[in-house]
Amino acid sequence: MKHHYFNHRLLLFVALSLLFSIKTIAQTIKGKVSDFKTGEPLVGATVHLTQAGASRFVAVSLNGSYSFKNVKSGAYQLQVNYVGYTTSQNYQGTITSTDEIKIINVSMQDASQQMTEVKITASTGKESDRAVRTIEKTSPMVLNILSANTIKLLPDVTVANALQRVSGVTIQRSASGEGRYAIIRGMDQRYNSTLVNGIKIPSPDQQYRFVPMDLFPSEMLERLEVIKALTPSMEGDAIGGAMNLVMKSAPSHFTLSANVSGGFSGLFSDGRLFNAFNASPNKQSPAIVNGNNFAATPADFNNKAITSGHSLNNPFSSTAGLTIGDRFANNKLGVILSASYQNVYRGSDSKQLTPNAQPSAIPAPNTPQFSDAYDRTYSTQTKRIGVHNKIDYAINDKNKLSLYNLYIHQDESEARLTADTLGLGLNTTALNKQITISNRSTLTQQSIYNSTLHGDHILGSKLVFNWDGVYSVANRHMPDRTEFLYDANKSLNSAGSVTAEYDNNTELIHHWENNRDRDLSGYGNLIFTPKIGNRDVEFSIGGLYRHKTRDADYIDYHLKGGLTYYNNNFNSLPFAITTPAGGLGSNNDRLENNYHFIENDNAEYFQFKFNPLDKLQVLGGVRVENTDMSYATQSPITVTERSGNIKYTDVLPSIHLKYELADNQNIRASYFASISRPGFGEIVPYKITGEYYDQEGNPHLKHITADNYDLRYELFPGGADQFLIGTFYKKIYNPIEYFVVRDGGPSTQVIKPMNDAGNATNYGLEVLATKFFGVLGFSVNYTYTHSRITTTKLLYQQGADQKSTQDFVNETRPLQGQADNVGNASILFKSAKLGLDMQAAFVYTGERLFQVSPYYNLDFYQHAYNQLDFSFEKTITKKLSFYGKINNITNAAAKIYLKFPHGQIDSKQQEFLGKQDITSQTLVQSDFYKTFFLGGFRYKF
Amino acid sequence: MKKYIVPIICLIMAIGASSCQKWKGEHTDIYTYTPPAANPVSDKAPLSCSGTGSTVVPVKGTMLSGKIYTVEGGCDLVINPLDTLLLQPGVTLNMGTGSSLIVLGTLVSNGSKDAPNWITAPGITKNDAPGGVTPANDPAYAGKWKGIVGGSTCNLMVLRWTHIEYAGLQEGDATSKIAGSGAGNQYSILFANYKGNFILEDSWLYGGIDDPIRISAGKIAIFRNTFEKNGLNGGDCINAKGGTTGTMAYNLFIGTATNGQKASNKGQATGAPQTNVVMYNNTFVSGGYRQVQSGRGGCINFEEGAAGMYYNNVAINCRFGFRVVGSPVADVAHLSYGNNYQWADSVKVANQFYPTGYITQPQPTDIPSIKTSANYLPAGYTLGSIYDGTDAVQKNNPMFTNFPLPTSGHPLAQYTAVGNYNFHLQASSPLIGKGNTTIAPLITVPLDKIYGLSEATLPGADLGCYQLNGSGNKH
Repeated sequence: MKHHYFNHRLLLFVALSLLFSIKTIAQTIKGKVSDFKTGEPLVGATVHLTQAGASRFVAVSLNGSYSFKNVKSGAYQLQVNYVGYTTSQNYQGTITSTDEIKIINVSMQDASQQMTEVKITASTGKESDRAVRTIEKTSPMVLNILSANTIKLLPDVTVANALQRVSGVTIQRSASGEGRYAIIRGMDQRYNSTLVNGIKIPSPDQQYRFVPMDLFPSEMLERLEVIKALTPSMEGDAIGGAMNLVMKSAPSHFTLSANVSGGFSGLFSDGRLFNAFNASPNKQSPAIVNGNNFAATPADFNNKAITSGHSLNNPFSSTAGLTIGDRFANNKLGVILSASYQNVYRGSDSKQLTPNAQPSAIPAPNTPQFSDAYDRTYSTQTKRIGVHNKIDYAINDKNKLSLYNLYIHQDESEARLTADTLGLGLNTTALNKQITISNRSTLTQQSIYNSTLHGDHILGSKLVFNWDGVYSVANRHMPDRTEFLYDANKSLNSAGSVTAEYDNNTELIHHWENNRDRDLSGYGNLIFTPKIGNRDVEFSIGGLYRHKTRDADYIDYHLKGGLTYYNNNFNSLPFAITTPAGGLGSNNDRLENNYHFIENDNAEYFQFKFNPLDKLQVLGGVRVENTDMSYATQSPITVTERSGNIKYTDVLPSIHLKYELADNQNIRASYFASISRPGFGEIVPYKITGEYYDQEGNPHLKHITADNYDLRYELFPGGADQFLIGTFYKKIYNPIEYFVVRDGGPSTQVIKPMNDAGNATNYGLEVLATKFFGVLGFSVNYTYTHSRITTTKLLYQQGADQKSTQDFVNETRPLQGQADNVGNASILFKSAKLGLDMQAAFVYTGERLFQVSPYYNLDFYQHAYNQLDFSFEKTITKKLSFYGKINNITNAAAKIYLKFPHGQIDSKQQEFLGKQDITSQTLVQSDFYKTFFLGGFRYKF
Repeated sequence: MKKYIVPIICLIMAIGASSCQKWKGEHTDIYTYTPPAANPVSDKAPLSCSGTGSTVVPVKGTMLSGKIYTVEGGCDLVINPLDTLLLQPGVTLNMGTGSSLIVLGTLVSNGSKDAPNWITAPGITKNDAPGGVTPANDPAYAGKWKGIVGGSTCNLMVLRWTHIEYAGLQEGDATSKIAGSGAGNQYSILFANYKGNFILEDSWLYGGIDDPIRISAGKIAIFRNTFEKNGLNGGDCINAKGGTTGTMAYNLFIGTATNGQKASNKGQATGAPQTNVVMYNNTFVSGGYRQVQSGRGGCINFEEGAAGMYYNNVAINCRFGFRVVGSPVADVAHLSYGNNYQWADSVKVANQFYPTGYITQPQPTDIPSIKTSANYLPAGYTLGSIYDGTDAVQKNNPMFTNFPLPTSGHPLAQYTAVGNYNFHLQASSPLIGKGNTTIAPLITVPLDKIYGLSEATLPGADLGCYQLNGSGNKH
């Protein structure tokens, strides 16, 4: 396989060498100027060349390079100046006619690191494609970046949706079609971490550590980095990759920009109404308000979330953003404030067949059986508010402070209307149908607050110290999710029309679920840059300490209407808590879901960076991460696993080699060890109701560790063009997979995360190419991923003795969420003359494993998904532009299949299967989102 | 004086005669030694968990005849995995509010006909007159205590001549976790070990919330019991899931919420056998009327991969007849049935003798005969289709000793307890001699007077749980 890749790589390399011809110029002195520490190009620095008393100077260009052409033979002196940096050494030498090109690369020591950010000439410079190309090129590790300019033109308004444009990234969607989580190189969300300005943030997720990426409005970003190889100075808990959201920082001069837009979803424009509701006023459950010994009665509940249900015809979505920034006190103080507001109405129409808890052994082993056919409509209103600000202050040229604050809040109101045909071929026949109608109103409130105080101190000419003090809070509240359901029993005549209907078995469920994470962290790094053997060497040591607490509570109340028929008069139903002690908080049989979690992590690292050869950069070192977690649930003392403490230490070495094949070409090779800590909801013996199966936690989970190898070739021909090709290989130890376990009884089979005894492997190939031809640009990326894991599955079959058995058999399959083939293609049109930018973006996600089943060969696969989006921006006046975004032009459906021929399913169930399209598979779920339109104005001062 | 002579002589003669009788007889009084119970459970104070910081009261040893034991409210009486609790005949175990009996080891309640045992909530007056009290106000459905919870290590549970009453309170976090029995259970009795033996004989189960007896898996023998008022708004009275094998016979069910007896292979554990249950000579009266969900059963139900047989059963006015489920399908290749009797007061009941939508195959031995009329069942009848049951209404009156048929004065749902009714057959009953006696019970448990099944009653010639010759159900 490796040879194969190599041949491909070679071919592409040759092809691209032809495409981007490399210029050679006689008698030239050229090179690059970069920040010694970060490797960032110092755009705008001045390079002085003195020859025979005559002086010339040039400014460093956007990609960090400079060049002097037509240099005369003879002695020369070269020196670089840049504000905020100490003037470079005076390079002296002689150029002869044989030296056609002399390369002098200059690394600048910053006088005050933060001052450099101030002095970077144009604030837009950092947000441009060109600038990020340079960062990609000069970075010591493997990463991909989207610039603010790219993001601005993307059809996406959230970071999650923007992520799907990054090479090797696919996204997992919410019920309304909104991207939510990123899968990086086939590694699902648990394997990835989220950073804001390099600082890890806590997650509001109810179970896991990963952060829902749809919380972040994409316009707040200066750039979006997907870091695929970790250095020792980075936190070691990412196996797929780390997503670093670099937020806008203070500009060099007064900046004001604003945008406002409006739009709508095509879903709600042809008769299908948007279902809206007003949320229940009860923010906390009776058990939280009155204590666990309080017995709630129907009077303690408010049913407003159901009774206030109403429809909206084609609701209007809107977004607005404002960024204001300036620099004061002789450029010592910089401030930026950016706010974003989004109010988006989306939805989906979904059809879903739910498999029975167990398949049938007859006629074939593991023949799928379905218990329910759901017909669901989702109406989701998402309100996002994001505010962030950054203040930086240079105390003097050796000391610098900055304060960063971020607040993100999202209210998601989801009305889900379900018609569930029950007992397919059982209670429901051609002549009588039992349909459970359910109406669920959910308000989910999530917020993240992060405040980071950062300091930079130059302690000596070769010694720099920087630190961060971080306070973060992440919240998720699901106050009073209310669901009303009843059975509609319909008698039909032979013509299929309803002759009688009676509605009974009414039920009302009130549910509260809250969790809150708080992080207090401190980071410190000491950087020592001596010269050893005439080469610049950088040693860094540092560490972090994080104290994390999480609190969660969870309760359900079930009320029943008894034998009273429901005649479309909700208020007439005599709802009561019918189970004895059912209203008592202490009788909640999921007391373990109320927990307190403490995690103390500390990490220390040692890192070195030097160039043993001119063109070879070596960065390596080791990081030690210590994890100490304790949890305590509210379960009584008789409950095994009610509390626990888990400690582990990981030693994570890494090495990153970068070899400059040429000025604009690199070859990188890296190895790093990393970990993935299980989510809180996985460790606490928590129990939640899932989409297909209930899930419970496992305190005996070990954390996942991985060895990661990367090899990448990069070509940066200039401008925004680039070509990258790389391969990766990951060996994953103790991978966490879901297994079915019996939780006491047969009706309570749950899935539980467990470490798989077998290790998983994941390897693949990534290609990315961007090329502009004048005003027209093409960008493609493609990732092939191959992962395998072998787990035990149940096989339910009738043996030769005519007795049915359930046996364990091994099944090898991809990791959940991984698609073999993932690609993006976009065509860009950028004309400054017309003031028009346009982009058509296409995303392809190949077939992927959507949900693992406990039964052999009954995993759910999502069919290949294609989405086409379009966006544009047209300048109206110098400061005002009009823009538009159109999502999902082709109304692509998300479709999920079982790999079982639908024709072989029980004949009694056939009429419920609905429209099928693949003979060898069974379509079990299809979601349609329709096209979404957004248009607005952007104003930039 | 003279008038006293006759009586005196008579008296003397009487004494003499009786003395003669005494002389004729044989009197033995041979000393037998019974070692005292090594670990008698003390009845001096309630079995209490107060002050221990937990709800657990560990218990093992012997509860002695004639004694009354009390479990404090809210406590879980736990028999640890290697321990045995034996209740001698004539023991009363009063369960406090919200208490439970968790069996991780062995439980034997060895009541006898003359000295039955009681595991009950004290101080409750039953109201068993039809319609005497609504289900919402009936203490039978109040769930006073949580029930007998057999964990996956319970190897033997024997309940013999034992009254179990008023259980079914939701287990809650602590109880379900100690027993490892899954959350949210509201069973009066749970048994969940496919390698273990569950024996219920000659006992009474009164009241309950959800499935009064849930067999998650196990080897079972359920013989000659009486079930009354089982299940509040749902629940199958004896609900056997995947990995259950054994026999249910000679049981009387009246007023169950849903089915009386159900077998399914749902959730068959790896290593556990396929569910295979033999059911014969059971009587079901007014079953299925408290189930609020539609399309559930009322007497016997086989579904989802279960094998077995059912013969010689009687269903009186059950909401649904004997039910074989087609999707998910029972193991119909290994399921046989016949000689089953049904009675319907009304056409609505008769229309569900072969429940609509299911695949119960009408048998020639069924009573009423499937050839009763052109309507019942019509030529070309397909399984599960709608038919007109008018001609099967009130046919073949079973001639119970004391139960009026057709019923009058009360809706069918209100016949929930035996009370003064008597479901023994009169000699003139058409059910006599109609049984299939060639079938065999499936005995998977040990036969033993104490630590097993004391009597495996073979299938009887008379349909239902009472045999004219006095065998069968002894209540």
